Amino acid sequence: MRKLLVAVAAAALALTACGSGDSGGDGKVTLTFWDNNGGPAREPIYKELISRFESANPDIKVEYVGIPSASVQQKYDTAIAGGETPDVGGVTTSYLAHLIGQNALAPLDDRINGGALKDKLLPSLVETVRQTAPDGKLYIVPSSANMDVIWYRADWFKDAGLEPPKTWDEFITAATQLTDAGANKYGYTIRGGAGSVFQLITEAYAYSGVDNFFEGGQSTLGDSANAELVDKVADLYKKATPEADINNSFTQMIAQFTGGSVAMMHHNLGSYSDVTKALGDKVAAIPLPVGPSGKRTVVPNPTDGFAVFNNSEHQDAAWKFAEFLTSSESNSYWNEKVGQIPANTDVRSAPWIDKSAHVKMALGILEDPATILVPAPVYLPQYSSITKADSEPLYQKVLLGETSAQDFLNGMAEKLTAAQKEWEERN
Amino acid sequence: MTETLGKTDTLVREVVDTTHRRPPVKRRPRPVAEEPGKRWLIHLPLALYLLFTIVPFYWMLVFAVRPTGSTQLVPWPISFEHFDTVWNDIGFGVFFYNSVVMGLGVLVFVTLLSVMGGYALARFKFRGQKVFLLAMLCSQFIPGAMMLIPLFVIFKGLGLLNSITGLVIAEVAFQLPLSLILMAGFIRNISVELEEAAMVDGCSRLRAFFAVVLPQLKPALVAVGSFAFIGAWNNFLFALMFATRQDKFTLPVGLSYTLGEFNTDFGALAAGGVVAAVPVVLVFAVVQRFLVQGLSAGAVKG
Repeated sequence: MRKLLVAVAAAALALTACGSGDSGGDGKVTLTFWDNNGGPAREPIYKELISRFESANPDIKVEYVGIPSASVQQKYDTAIAGGETPDVGGVTTSYLAHLIGQNALAPLDDRINGGALKDKLLPSLVETVRQTAPDGKLYIVPSSANMDVIWYRADWFKDAGLEPPKTWDEFITAATQLTDAGANKYGYTIRGGAGSVFQLITEAYAYSGVDNFFEGGQSTLGDSANAELVDKVADLYKKATPEADINNSFTQMIAQFTGGSVAMMHHNLGSYSDVTKALGDKVAAIPLPVGPSGKRTVVPNPTDGFAVFNNSEHQDAAWKFAEFLTSSESNSYWNEKVGQIPANTDVRSAPWIDKSAHVKMALGILEDPATILVPAPVYLPQYSSITKADSEPLYQKVLLGETSAQDFLNGMAEKLTAAQKEWEERN
Repeated sequence: MTETLGKTDTLVREVVDTTHRRPPVKRRPRPVAEEPGKRWLIHLPLALYLLFTIVPFYWMLVFAVRPTGSTQLVPWPISFEHFDTVWNDIGFGVFFYNSVVMGLGVLVFVTLLSVMGGYALARFKFRGQKVFLLAMLCSQFIPGAMMLIPLFVIFKGLGLLNSITGLVIAEVAFQLPLSLILMAGFIRNISVELEEAAMVDGCSRLRAFFAVVLPQLKPALVAVGSFAFIGAWNNFLFALMFATRQDKFTLPVGLSYTLGEFNTDFGALAAGGVVAAVPVVLVFAVVQRFLVQGLSAGAVKG
């Protein structure tokens, strides 16, 4: 009997031994870097940049950890609570405030202004990052951005003798004109299912020209001009769009557009590879049209960037790596590979920018001093539940004509105002 | 002799029933399966159900073995490029190893501890036994996510982050209560008289346990062990949170890793899914015989 127990104990020990195996220190500084959208698509890009960094800085070693994007916020939360944060991490403005609130990040203003990146970062992105922090400091160095655009069938527009729309009225006209329901051709596709309201908000502000999400603590979402746009879009439903649109999430919307039955689709630069793979140069992008005010108001997508964590024992080295990732060469390489807007302004002269019209267009909008950014309060803990679970079914009712656009927006605005008030009291 | 006669009698009566009196067939319900013509009444729903369960697996397999961009429903020739990608490039080889080590570790410790604890619960009376059982049961209400941060802090102090050992400990702790209760039920069903008989013959309690109880416990061991293994195999949360190095990821984390924010390689995801599903399917194929036995043994003989 004793033999058996001894054997079990030995097995337990053996298991323990093979479980733990940490590499010893060799005098080098080792940094941990968390990729917030880890996966086989982005890992090789970062691995290449890391090897470039390591050969330029032989005394620093960088360990790459790709975190699945769906769980990254929870992973950061656990790491912060346990004091096991990385040295450098990819962070987007959608949960930046949440991390700042836990005092996890080091402000980077002095480091940015004291180094090579001074005045080299797109001011609109810097501004977006600043507005996310309660104290207005920069807690990430912005590296890239995404933007909402209208993808359109350049060939259809040409055949119909139409110019790509600049205003919402032109947009409505074009959508109606390009529709031929009998031939299963529609001018537009509405995202009526999952993710609908987030896009609708960007459309509403692009039209209304309202330049602040909150005015004296009250959400401006219920503005009558915003409701006007929602009405206009809802009017297109079934007249210039497929009837199935009411349940469209990203996947169905993309499938309709790439399947060749739709002339225009509202999404962001992220769908570039999907649409060009299917339609090649028959597809192009325009910014969201402007409204009667003529002002270009843009609700920005979350900005991506790199944060240095307070807990890091090697903050100088960590910053060196973050700065390297945002340098014109790395920033150019990275954004060219993923097809997003580079934050480093030196990249704008890179040859690949000229070749990708959609990035150039988006960059132009963000660089234009007349562009007004209206950041949505993504920092509110309830933001996602208010705009998704609470509102998406109601938007479907608007499309079906069961609720008025104004009531729909007022309800959402009320909830956002309450959430904002709660947030301000806490911070 | 009377018996045979009796049977003949019924037979004759049956013949008479079906031929001369009407409508006797309708009035006497018969098991459906006995009539070949009505077999479809059972087989059709079963076939539909089978289809319903198999289609997702088929879909996964199809995505896994056809080249990117192909839309064939019956992929031919079969391509293994996705398996090559996930196994070598994404690192499923390492994830697989980690999952196996962790799964086996959990299996061994959960089974061992639940046999010991279950025996004590079944055979001994001790103060607070009911409260103890209730506490075990209540522990099932605590979601893993709630214990995440405390566990993380403790494991950090003990140097158990980034180690399979840490995962095994956490997983064993979470799985043990239920296994313990199950195992106690199984052991209670083995008559104590058998053990007593062995002891009368001169066995010690331990010897009696090994000689008499353990052999009868085989189905229970398989049931508890396979539940433990599969639970550990599927655990995502702890594996994701306690590993901050990619070489310590397990299969579920690896699968989630193939899902990007803007793009998902469905071929790689499906191939990864196959890699993750095959061992579980194999485990079930081997143990299902014992499993059914084990479950019914625990369920019926109260």
